[in-house]
Amino acid sequence: MIVDIVHTSFVVQRVFSASPRHTFRFFCEPELKARWNGCHTDWRVLEETFDFRVGGGEVKRWRTLEGKEQTFHSHYLDIVPDARIVYAYEMSFGGTRLSASLVTLTLEEMQRGARMTWTEQVAILSGGEKAAEQRAWGTEEGLDVMIDLAQREGVTEH
Amino acid sequence: MSAVGPAALDRIFTALADPGRRAFVERLAAGPASVKELAAPTGIRLPSALKHLRVLEEGGIVVSAKSGRTRTYAISPTAFGPVSDWIAARRAVMNAAFDRLEAALAEFPEEKDE
Repeated sequence: MIVDIVHTSFVVQRVFSASPRHTFRFFCEPELKARWNGCHTDWRVLEETFDFRVGGGEVKRWRTLEGKEQTFHSHYLDIVPDARIVYAYEMSFGGTRLSASLVTLTLEEMQRGARMTWTEQVAILSGGEKAAEQRAWGTEEGLDVMIDLAQREGVTEH
Repeated sequence: MSAVGPAALDRIFTALADPGRRAFVERLAAGPASVKELAAPTGIRLPSALKHLRVLEEGGIVVSAKSGRTRTYAISPTAFGPVSDWIAARRAVMNAAFDRLEAALAEFPEEKDE
């Protein structure tokens, strides 16, 4: 089956309460990264490697509860300590590649912390055949704002 | 916002207004899952999970299909339009991860590790 590939990009910005130097450590040191990056504790880990250097990358393979394999492969293209990480990554589920992306992550010094900007340029490989029905970007942005609002409402609950 | 009517917005907003339901959406962003798989990591009991999933389904956020004795849920391909749906799901996953990062930074502050 031949499907169309959809190319798009999005940006996520967050301000963290630690300096860029300290925040960067949570992206490059395995023990610190594991403190926040791990999820799906119910999935069985089949493979996990982490090699933080230009030319190196990260491999993660899981067996989900339904017995399907979920994979993540990344490849570091550029690293500027405390300031920038550029990497490519792919995600697959049940043997089907879902997406391939280029991520540019930057950390900027703020008065009391770090501003992280995550820019992801993505080729959506699965499900892209429906993109012809894609709505106007204005609608998408409206919905994104709404989801953010819903999330913020959730945050104030605890 | 003209492509989505106010009633649809209400349903979507209601569907996403609950942290438990957002956790389901976040999980489904990684791939389809059964009720059991969705409920297990959250500690939500099955009847309650089913109720939440019904709200998500009525809101057009998820779809379900029965194969054998298992009902499998997935993000609806038409929930927000396929591309913005994909992005919304990715954003939800990433924002949850970055929430954990902020908590990890607070737990392991700079002074201690210099």
